[in-house]
Amino acid sequence: MSPAPSPRPARRQHGSAVWLMLPAFLLLAIVFLGPLLQAVWLSGQASSLLTGLQPVANGGANWQRLLGDGRFWQDTVFTLRFALVSVGLELVLGLAMALLLHRPGRGGGLLRALALLPWALPGTVLALGWRWIFQAPYGPLNALIQFLGGQPYGFLTTPATTWLFAVVADVWKSTPFVALLLLAGLQAIPAELEESLQLEGASRAQILRRLILPLLGPWIRLAVLFRLAQALGLFDLVQVLTRGGPAGSTESLALYAYLQAMRFLDFGYSATVVVATFLLLAVLTLLGWLLLRWGRGRERDRQRGRPVSPAAAGGAG
Amino acid sequence: MLRLPPAAATAAWSLRRLPPPLRLPLLVGLLLSLALALLPATLPALPQAPATTVRLLMPAPFVDATAPLVATFNREHRELQIELVRGPLDSEAISDLAIGSLLLGASPYDLLLMDGSWTARYAAAGWLEPLETWLGDDALAGLMPGARLGNAFAGHLWRMPLTADTGLLYWRTDLMPQPPRSTAELERIAVDLQAAGKVRWGYVWQGRQYEGLSCVMLEALQAFGGRWWEPQQGSSAGRTSLDSAAALQAAAWLEGLVHKGISPPAVADFAENEALQLFAAGDAAFLRNWPYAWREIEKGGGPVRGRVGVTTVVGAPGQRGGGTLGTWGLSLLRGSDHPREAAAVIRWFTGPVVQKALVLDQGYAPTWTSLYADPELQRRHPLLEVQRQALEQGPLLRPLTPLYAQLSDLLQRRINGMLSGAETAAAAMGDAQRASEELLASTSGEAAR
Repeated sequence: MSPAPSPRPARRQHGSAVWLMLPAFLLLAIVFLGPLLQAVWLSGQASSLLTGLQPVANGGANWQRLLGDGRFWQDTVFTLRFALVSVGLELVLGLAMALLLHRPGRGGGLLRALALLPWALPGTVLALGWRWIFQAPYGPLNALIQFLGGQPYGFLTTPATTWLFAVVADVWKSTPFVALLLLAGLQAIPAELEESLQLEGASRAQILRRLILPLLGPWIRLAVLFRLAQALGLFDLVQVLTRGGPAGSTESLALYAYLQAMRFLDFGYSATVVVATFLLLAVLTLLGWLLLRWGRGRERDRQRGRPVSPAAAGGAG
Repeated sequence: MLRLPPAAATAAWSLRRLPPPLRLPLLVGLLLSLALALLPATLPALPQAPATTVRLLMPAPFVDATAPLVATFNREHRELQIELVRGPLDSEAISDLAIGSLLLGASPYDLLLMDGSWTARYAAAGWLEPLETWLGDDALAGLMPGARLGNAFAGHLWRMPLTADTGLLYWRTDLMPQPPRSTAELERIAVDLQAAGKVRWGYVWQGRQYEGLSCVMLEALQAFGGRWWEPQQGSSAGRTSLDSAAALQAAAWLEGLVHKGISPPAVADFAENEALQLFAAGDAAFLRNWPYAWREIEKGGGPVRGRVGVTTVVGAPGQRGGGTLGTWGLSLLRGSDHPREAAAVIRWFTGPVVQKALVLDQGYAPTWTSLYADPELQRRHPLLEVQRQALEQGPLLRPLTPLYAQLSDLLQRRINGMLSGAETAAAAMGDAQRASEELLASTSGEAAR
């Protein structure tokens, strides 16, 4: 006997949605939640050469060590600085690039493909290329400086400035990605809106500020979220470009966790660094998310013609 | 045109459902990815040569220096061949390379040329074969006493030393009649020479945040009677004593050298070569460096060529100074397919023939007592006598613990911070001691305090 058709199809749809999502949840649990929980557990253990690489509970000693670990904090500062500066630059340059590519014209497809090339390059290959360019004193950049009558500069050997050149390499690679995302957003903005604003005599800057940027908002948020998550997990670029040097000035948190495990064989502490990094990212992402939600709320209020806040009520209009 | 079996053609996901131009490429792509997935991960090995080949990984300069000798060896020993593998120059990079393959289980190398500070870590990780099995319990008997240090750990011999370099003090024979005998004398001579305008800087050394600074700091600790590491009797554990009065004096001495203008502030960014270049240009009265610096100065033809004397590192008045032992040696990696042959290669490679060539070619200090009496070496390598003295005086061993790399890293950070003025000597050493204790607690499984 076949089952009677359900009287409430909506409910059945809901049930099947859960079943359809289950594999994805399982996969996430296995590849993400499992390792994370394992790292949390390991961060409470000593697992080093002194314990024969066997886990032995050490009652929070890893976390106490982390607080006083100058190298961890130095790496945190570098990672944050690198991520914020490079994502900021990529956003500005990516927007400019997207606006240029958005213009209709001959050879647009070819230009777009060319612009995407750096993004398609493997990170290690790109880092090797930049290492050659920055090499002192015989790299092409120093050759140019010397040709122009300057002194060769240690781009990758000066602790105070080397992080900037890591940013340059990252911006070069990732700007096309941001540009592509924003370009997709630009294509979704109806051309009639722009035309009507132009007819009303709006300048380019006004169109950008009043029309394009607000409508591009969701795409910008997406780009920032993607790029921030990637930049905060920085590893391959610095591993190849500088190996974290000079004097540890470009060592990212991911690289530090890697070195603790692979060079010092200190797996308990490596897990502690991983968990601390994850917590840091989670807090940052949460903050960013709240900020964006607040921004979106303001936007919605504005669209509904309501004052932004009680304090601004008098001036709004 | 592609003919599909009827069953496939009637299936709901049939290729026929696709537009025709897509069918063939899709099928070819699927078959290709299937073939790639099934392909064995490695290509079949070439047929084995009849002779046993022992593969030895070492930094490129060692390969260059020993290649002619190895070529001769390979000609004379048809059944046993040595293959030298060129590794990166940077010693940390070559260690990472070796660890990368060791963590995977099987190393493609039989032998590894190891820095002295790795021995305990590699031995504790179980990556090395004890050498006494192959070389005998008296393998080190013919070596200078100083060269025997640091090769055994936890009751086994893990490494056969190839070189026996120590830190040395370089001085200018044209500026002073005698080298100083204590840190106080060194300081006084330097200040006088600077005041008289005979030389710009008094003393240059390595203050950059890297392993060289740990070696300098170890020498300063010894000079003032301090210790870095107190091994626990009968075990491989131990504790640091970086906040002792002597250790504070040692740090304050280095800090004072910069503060008093005896050493340039830039010393905080000096590695071996920067210090050497400044000294070789005639801008400093004293230099702390390894034996290779002497050949560089004599070879270079700079203003101080022929005016340089070399002596052992000095201690504070009433204290015995000493130079840090910075040596290379051969270890047998666990999992080698032919340990007996590899041990024979160790015996030959660390033997007097190769060492003599390394002394003459690169200026490394030999380990064998007999080589220090070799008339040819004495004639052609004037540094031999001071190298012998340094080894007899008792060279300084960096803490022999699996945690050495981490202990060294955290000490370098604090001392370098002190040299660039970020911290006082007392604060730097207090910090270093506290961080060392936390490191030991977190890695040994003791509870946090």
